[in-house]
Amino acid sequence: MNEVILDCLGEACPVPLVKAQNKIAEMNIGDILIVQIDHSCAMKNLPEWARKDGHNVEVEEVDDGEWEVIIEKLK
Amino acid sequence: MENKAEKKVKFFDRVKNNDYYIKWIKSPFTYVAAAVLLAIFQIVTLAATGNPWGVSGVFAYWGAWIYEAVGGTVDKWFYFASPGAQATLDAGFMEHAGTWRNIGIIFGALAATFLASGFKIKKIKSKKQIVAAIIGGLMMGYGARIAAGCNIGALFSGIASLSLSGWVFAVAMFFGAVVGSKLLVKFFM
Repeated sequence: MNEVILDCLGEACPVPLVKAQNKIAEMNIGDILIVQIDHSCAMKNLPEWARKDGHNVEVEEVDDGEWEVIIEKLK
Repeated sequence: MENKAEKKVKFFDRVKNNDYYIKWIKSPFTYVAAAVLLAIFQIVTLAATGNPWGVSGVFAYWGAWIYEAVGGTVDKWFYFASPGAQATLDAGFMEHAGTWRNIGIIFGALAATFLASGFKIKKIKSKKQIVAAIIGGLMMGYGARIAAGCNIGALFSGIASLSLSGWVFAVAMFFGAVVGSKLLVKFFM
């Protein structure tokens, strides 16, 4: 099981989403992708996409205006 | 004194875990809820000011007022030539409903961010972001003025007024956004 951290701090929509989609595509099932974001709209569209795509998703607020979206690739 | 500070911390801790705080202040609204609120408040705007909601047109007036404040004159400019525009300019900043609305949007957005404790000064990741922001901003401002409206004045308020121009704007914006997305993926991925 691999764990990959994707630094998207300072990056505006839709860059974090597209970067996460590209990253997930090259990962194996069971791997974990942690996307670091500080753009509040990514906090909405990232989990939404990942859940629709069928992955496990958790959002953690690490600081004021800073989140980690933790995605476990399930398929 | 110490006791007071302790009480304060406890108060904010309580607020942080309050269901209503989390639901109404902390969590983002759904797109549908936000859309309904926008529709209601744009009707309020139309009723209160007599004009449909617009955002970017206000900035043109701000620019004109700043230019006049440093000694320039826009009397001969085609954009400000109409009697209505001249009257707005003469009445000034304080009498302009759109100005107060834009100020309200800026401070309202700031307040919402603070209340959700989501305020953060973000770092600039690359010089590319600066270049893209400046070019994009100039193109949006220029485009909004020659189109006589931005995505609010021309699109949102246009469609809400049952005007065909709003739909034409929507189609053009759709294709513009496709090109913009391609450029974004090319330069920022």
